[in-house]
Amino acid sequence: MIIEMDPVTINIFGVSGYILLWIITLIAFGLFGKRIIAFIKLLLRAHPENRFDQLGKRIRYLITFVLGQKRLLHEYVIGIAHFIIFWGFILFAGTFGWNLLKGLFPFLPIPYADEIGIIRIFFLVFSLLVLVSLVFAVIRRAFFPPPHLQQSLDAFIIITLISLVVLSTLFGIGFRAVTVGQMEASLNPADNLLYKIFLGIPIDSAQGWHHMMFWMHLLVVLGFLAYLPYSKHLHLLASPFSVFFANIDRAGSLDVPGSKNETSAGASRWDEFTWRQLFNTFACAECGRCDRVCPALTSGYELSPRMIVHHLKEHLMEAGLRSKDDKTSEGDGLSPLIGKTVSVAELWACTTCYACMERCPVFNEHIPLIVNMRRYLVAQGSVDTTLQDVLTKMSRYWNSLGQSDRVRAKWTQGLDFKIKDARKEQVEYLWFVGDYASYDPRIQNITRTTAKVFQKAGLDFGILFEGERNSGNDVRRIGEEGLFEILKEKNMQALEKAQFKMIVTTDPHTYNTLKNEYGLNGTYQIKHYTEVLDKLIQQGKLRISKRLNQTVTYHDSCYLGRYNGIYDAPRRVLKTVGTKLVEMPRNRSKSYCCGAGGGRIWMSDQPGIKERPSESRIREAVSLRGVQALVVSCPKDIVMFQDALKTTGNEEKLSVKDISDLLCEAIE
Amino acid sequence: MDIFVFLKMVPDVVEELLIGEDGKSLDTQWLRMKLSDPDEHALEEAVILKEKYGGTVTVVAMEAPEVEEVLFTAIAKGADCAVKLPGDWAGIQAPAIAKLFASYFSLTQHQIGSETLILIGSQAIDDLEGEVAPYLAEILGAHYVGVVTGIRLDEEKKKAIVMKEFAGGLRGEFELPLPAVLGVQAAEKPPRYVPVAKVRSIMKSTRIETVDVSPSEIISGLSVERLFIPEVAGKAKMIEGPPEKVSTQIIEILVECGIIRR
Repeated sequence: MIIEMDPVTINIFGVSGYILLWIITLIAFGLFGKRIIAFIKLLLRAHPENRFDQLGKRIRYLITFVLGQKRLLHEYVIGIAHFIIFWGFILFAGTFGWNLLKGLFPFLPIPYADEIGIIRIFFLVFSLLVLVSLVFAVIRRAFFPPPHLQQSLDAFIIITLISLVVLSTLFGIGFRAVTVGQMEASLNPADNLLYKIFLGIPIDSAQGWHHMMFWMHLLVVLGFLAYLPYSKHLHLLASPFSVFFANIDRAGSLDVPGSKNETSAGASRWDEFTWRQLFNTFACAECGRCDRVCPALTSGYELSPRMIVHHLKEHLMEAGLRSKDDKTSEGDGLSPLIGKTVSVAELWACTTCYACMERCPVFNEHIPLIVNMRRYLVAQGSVDTTLQDVLTKMSRYWNSLGQSDRVRAKWTQGLDFKIKDARKEQVEYLWFVGDYASYDPRIQNITRTTAKVFQKAGLDFGILFEGERNSGNDVRRIGEEGLFEILKEKNMQALEKAQFKMIVTTDPHTYNTLKNEYGLNGTYQIKHYTEVLDKLIQQGKLRISKRLNQTVTYHDSCYLGRYNGIYDAPRRVLKTVGTKLVEMPRNRSKSYCCGAGGGRIWMSDQPGIKERPSESRIREAVSLRGVQALVVSCPKDIVMFQDALKTTGNEEKLSVKDISDLLCEAIE
Repeated sequence: MDIFVFLKMVPDVVEELLIGEDGKSLDTQWLRMKLSDPDEHALEEAVILKEKYGGTVTVVAMEAPEVEEVLFTAIAKGADCAVKLPGDWAGIQAPAIAKLFASYFSLTQHQIGSETLILIGSQAIDDLEGEVAPYLAEILGAHYVGVVTGIRLDEEKKKAIVMKEFAGGLRGEFELPLPAVLGVQAAEKPPRYVPVAKVRSIMKSTRIETVDVSPSEIISGLSVERLFIPEVAGKAKMIEGPPEKVSTQIIEILVECGIIRR
């Protein structure tokens, strides 16, 4: 008996299946294509940015983060479910395309996908796995939603659609098994199983059901295709591109390679962002991972990295796609984006800690968005008064503390040896000391301790004295791009006059900008002092004479850890001096920001916050059993945490120490 | 509305102040100049008034180190025209400064009339009496109020209604016809921030005008005889310890000074 298994050959309401298939396909692809072309046109109107370099690395990113889903597995339970759904989707989308091709062009010498036994096995296995994952996803959404997960109708529509896709496939191969009969089925375990389950259905109606499933599957998938770019599930299509065009190796840099635009004016309208910045909005799945790790949001500040991206998307759809946009700014003097959809307060709340970007499975870049909008605010003169005061001081005295630039090296007066002037004599290490370490009376002692340790190790080092300026890392993140440029120019001039082999910095913020934004990296190595101390110990130049029997915990500063991946050097130093290191729950890349970065150290707190990030961190450290000291490797951390010790009343329980202090104690 | 703002550079006290060899002036080698704070407020108020009522803002400054940057910044903030009065004006005192500023009007043949409003910082760290503004008003024959913290104009823009602060939290409102010279204590809002990039682009696109004033016409009535750092008059001594011991010590000191007899 020859059974007609080609579902396209039938007539539906008197219309040939072929014609119907062509009509539906053209409509679906038309709707899909129209939207996608509109999006591409928007991206072409945005500012340029070169993300086409390092193709090899980009492909490796695709493999690790798209095919391997690495960042989704940070939250492993839903991560595994997503992994299964993703691979199920690849299977179903792939075979769908194949079937569609065969249906549209029946003369092609290929079978339908489900005519191949091994694929039916895959279908069965993945259908069941995906269904379980979907049930899990629904239960999570409905009963155990994690904080900041965007609950939308969209999500349930998509879950329903995927279920229908899977069920139509499952039933399709089931009815097929019955239609084709025991003969073929016996060779295939999937068919065998399905045959037994579907046996009760008469062959005649099973064939009809099989065709019905084919058409249902087709309608659902094509409907899905048309609906996709109109929903947040655009991320399905956009995220592989988003990962591919990630900011590879330049996480710490706000440079925009390939840009010819004046960046200091910032962005307040969609077409003033770079195309990659706009692309964030297409790739976002509103999963809320960024929000869940945001220290500003956790502390009760008005900021949600997810909503920043979402609001930009709303603005892009409104102003870009529907051209509902009067170019003039409205009543409050700000743009339709800033001050309306995105609030000024939330832009200033960001500490630029990088936690959101580190966690984002699709490599969205929230901080460049925020900084770009901050630049606009700065250009409008819309700056917090305390911040304005610092910027004014910085542009006059070249340091954030507003002290005379002539006394930058005054801290050296308390030393019993002279530090070399790198502008006058050659040194191996040029120590870029930084503002807080140079000027702040709370830090100067630590700076002198670091100097003593360097000296004791016989390190050949010097400083720039009054030739050094604020490095501009935080100035740039405030959005004062012009001032950053001047600071960079001044420092570069001073560095050009000095003779050295390597740069060592005290402040991780300084470290970040010198390493990633000064263009020095090819010429000189840039080291953080913890790296240098670690190396000196390993070379045997620092002998530990006294093991410190202290139990301590270590705080990874954002700009050293997440931004630049330095986690082990400070930990090795702590081990060598004999301390027992107890990790905080939020350690290494999960470290919790102290709240100082991105210029926040100079801004006032928003009213009504729950607790400052630094206070949350102190509580975390205090809750560890037996921990006597919170060890840090950033001058701003000292300032922030010593304050937080007082405000949380934990001065008796814990002390905040710099890693240099501990090392100095151990070698004396 | 023609708004004029006169700016003056003063020694920056963030830097160490040293007395020069002549014993009468500051050592210029270590001296850095900055715009006087109240003058910055006067400029801000002028720009706010321009935004509210229209007109032009002209800023005029005596030549001094770093004054160009101040003038370019003023344009970036919203001033329309920046003028520099070249010359060595070190050590010049308030009456002479007023004459110098007044000569700007005569030299440029600016008519002072019912459209003219002149703003100056009501004080400066080297002119705590705030004499420049009243002297200038006197020379120009204009009305004057000092220590002003708020300015608005009447409907016809012929009168200025100004707020002046008094001790004890009192405020006075004054109405005075234009032309007027106002000594500004504080602008309505803190001086605005102008991004460096904006100042830099102004530097490239704008020019500072100069008006030559002959120094011989400017004679100061005052000269400094001696400039000195006040001598330390003695130190307080802290007496610590239990109350009995402290009180015995106090008695001893009082006896020693001859205030009481044992």
